[in-house]
Amino acid sequence: MSSHPAAEFDHLPGREVELDVATQDCLIHMGPQHPATHGVMRVLLKADGEILAGAQTHLGYLHRCAEKIGENVDWLQYLPYTDRYDYLAAMNNNLGYSLAVESLLGAEVPARAQYLRVICAELNRIASHLFAVGTYGLDLGAFTPLFSALRDREEVLELFEKICGARLTYSYIRPGGVMNDAPEGWLTKVAEFLDRFEKTWHEYWTLMVENKIFIERTANIGVLTEEQALSWGCTGPMLRGSGVDWDLRRDQPYLIYDQLEFDVVKGIGYRGTLGDCFDRNFVRMFEMTESVRILRQCLAQIPDGEIMHEEVGAVIRPAPGESYVSIENPRGELGHYVVSNGTKIAVRVRVRSPSFCNMSVAEHLMPGSMLGDAASIIGSVDIVVGETDR
Amino acid sequence: MTELLLSTAVSLAVVLAFITVMAMFFVWSERKVAGWIQHRVGPMRTGGGFQGWAQSIADSIKLLLKEDLILRGADRTLFQLAPALVLASAFAMFVVLPFGPGLMVADIDLGVFLILAIASVTTIGVIMAGWGSFNKWSVYGAMREAAQVASYEIPLGLSLMPPIIYFGTFSLKAATEAQTGSFGMGWYIFSDAFWIAIPSFLLFFVAALAENKRAPFDLPEAESELVAGFHTEYSGIRFSFFFLEEYAAMFVFSAVGAVLWLGGWNFPGIQSFEEDSTALLLLGTASFVLKSFFLVFVMMWVRWTVPRLRIDQVMTLGYKYLIPLSMVMALLAAGWEYIKHLGGQA
Amino acid sequence: MSQRDTAWGPMEVQRVAASEAAQALQAVGIELKLCVPNLPWVAPEGEAKDLVRRAKEEDAEPVWRGDAYLLLSEPGQVTQALQHCRDELGYSQLYDLTACDPAADETQLKLIYGLRNLKSKARLILQSRVDKAAASVPSVASIYQAADWHEREAGEMYGITFVGHPDPRNILLPDDWVGFPLRKDYEYPDEYNGVSCKE
Repeated sequence: MSSHPAAEFDHLPGREVELDVATQDCLIHMGPQHPATHGVMRVLLKADGEILAGAQTHLGYLHRCAEKIGENVDWLQYLPYTDRYDYLAAMNNNLGYSLAVESLLGAEVPARAQYLRVICAELNRIASHLFAVGTYGLDLGAFTPLFSALRDREEVLELFEKICGARLTYSYIRPGGVMNDAPEGWLTKVAEFLDRFEKTWHEYWTLMVENKIFIERTANIGVLTEEQALSWGCTGPMLRGSGVDWDLRRDQPYLIYDQLEFDVVKGIGYRGTLGDCFDRNFVRMFEMTESVRILRQCLAQIPDGEIMHEEVGAVIRPAPGESYVSIENPRGELGHYVVSNGTKIAVRVRVRSPSFCNMSVAEHLMPGSMLGDAASIIGSVDIVVGETDR
Repeated sequence: MTELLLSTAVSLAVVLAFITVMAMFFVWSERKVAGWIQHRVGPMRTGGGFQGWAQSIADSIKLLLKEDLILRGADRTLFQLAPALVLASAFAMFVVLPFGPGLMVADIDLGVFLILAIASVTTIGVIMAGWGSFNKWSVYGAMREAAQVASYEIPLGLSLMPPIIYFGTFSLKAATEAQTGSFGMGWYIFSDAFWIAIPSFLLFFVAALAENKRAPFDLPEAESELVAGFHTEYSGIRFSFFFLEEYAAMFVFSAVGAVLWLGGWNFPGIQSFEEDSTALLLLGTASFVLKSFFLVFVMMWVRWTVPRLRIDQVMTLGYKYLIPLSMVMALLAAGWEYIKHLGGQA
Repeated sequence: MSQRDTAWGPMEVQRVAASEAAQALQAVGIELKLCVPNLPWVAPEGEAKDLVRRAKEEDAEPVWRGDAYLLLSEPGQVTQALQHCRDELGYSQLYDLTACDPAADETQLKLIYGLRNLKSKARLILQSRVDKAAASVPSVASIYQAADWHEREAGEMYGITFVGHPDPRNILLPDDWVGFPLRKDYEYPDEYNGVSCKE
């Protein structure tokens, strides 16, 4: 008969370490309310002290039945719902849905509307990446980058407020064109913002990205290999951070992106391994400067003219058929798979959201890293829970 | 005997009032400093006038009025005792600080030693809080505190050795008085051993940040990892005790730095004042408080600038860099004194 | 760079990719039908709104617009088809996997697999049909790991069993949710765990 005091724990799943002490992994719920989950999401962590032995993501806390709503309202009435799945990049969501509906209508919007759409989408990309970079600092314990980022993001939001009256949920880009033309002097204000932003961009670079502690916390953490990134369906900065040269704006050009010059930024393992958290943030940093380049060209080229396709009215009945249209959202590929039977209500509105696919790999990056790295990895994925759950 | 008791009681009451007011001032100034660093203005309205000066008072009233929650599964004794222990230890450290010429509660020969010893008691309070909270995040915070603070006490103590060797005393009052020379500018960092003083001061400052759980070493309460660490489950007045402790401890360690390296209450031209005069007392106290506040400000500045380290990086920094370096500094200081001694003999 | 032929992206390159993939898959014994839309991608002027009426008047083959796709005759062959696409045809990414219930009176659900080739920059859509009554299809999560979460979502929303899925739990819905919400014949519950769902 065993008289060893540790014997009573023998039935528990655990591991034997020196001195016959049975240890047990600790299960911790990170979320649903937790500062680092960027919304209402839960990650069940299995931790051996500070080292993570496993992780499991639980979604659904912010599920708002967007796809079911899409099958019950008019094509146009669904537009405001698209604002609400990725609320940090609502312009891009509007754009993705509008293009999908237009692909069934067979309606190409006028040139000025296309330029206005690209300007708004790229401004929104800057705002979204600013927020991503800022909150990433917050995840790592640095508050100040977030507030610097919010200062610049505020200018973008003010520009949006001037053009469409809303600061977060725009519904500005709509099937058939855009809601209204840019007010007088608006394009000049965009140009002025770009000049200011190019200077402040260097603040983020020196304050955060080149910070020794930041590099220590992100380099070689959560390494996502190219094979993993492809197999898990990662897109956007997550995919490019792993060194894959893929950007829908260049490789499947929509709107006027084929007439614009810009580089596709990809991770190079600047401070660590290719595909680590640092690289994903690095890609976001430089995508902002590329967006500035795109915006400068758009501002120089934008023609005068109509902003709405004249045949797209208030009630639309797209041709029967099914179409998948994807655009490059700040977080990755935002796809809308829309099915129409020729009536004014959709048969199916499927949203392929980038955060959903990007998040699916995060739980596989965590085992073996430390508890503090969980926040670092989730932050580098840059999820918006409104979009993973829809 | 009665007189001694009475004077001690008065001094303690003064210290207690000072801690409370000072902590409230620090909370307000932390918010203002954070605001200025982050392109904001911080609190502006409370008090109806200057820079939201009454914000801390309003905060304290709010904290006092809040419901005091204790989880059903919590260990009530530990949970309730922990904030008191933490605050009491922070309070006790003030006893040996020389605020001004003749203005200190108790001049103990082992003043520095006492501060180090009492600072460790805080750790016990934090561990009690974490364990008693009935929350896994709190336990993690408490375990981190135990690991981190216990390891950083070694470099902290070692980095205090150079000035102690230089002045030949553990008493903070004696150390201050030893720096009165050179028209009040005989501070340790301006002494002949300045090349030891400056690196050892930096080592002390880093170790003090870690000892106080200030960013970038705020692992025990790392809010993006552990929600709020050991004080996740605390609310109301008990939470404010932890808050007070943090700012009180910041001040104490800044004061130790100010006394041992920056001359304590000494200021340029101190010799022209009469001993025991009111002007000397006021200017000396102001000099000491300003120096300490400046160091506290640097701690805030650091907090709002850098990201947080990870726990293994904190331990690596402590054991692999700070301990050897501070040990080298202590040896250099001893060697320098020996060389000076030999030179004096020759 | 792919040719941009519409404002929503290149379409011709996809049609070519679909017909090439159809031949390659048929050559390895996978039964399928190539479905190509019979309307132009961009509607002629004056027709963006009124196609439905015209289609009804002509009373001919149903017209439709959108992406060309391959319809697999046998859902059981989907693993084989995807394996071939990934290993031989270079479709390295499964960008989407979803289902669709065309109408309440239909007996079959559509299953849609979206594949992407990053080298040739082509998209390929594979579809199959499963019976609503016994919706079951082999899981492709072992071929493309991205299918893991997508299959969980499609499974809970449409009541499709993905045979061989490593972790077939609900993902967005609670574990005890009754019914499959995205089916057209779904009835809204009156209450959930004692919480009334009525307005």
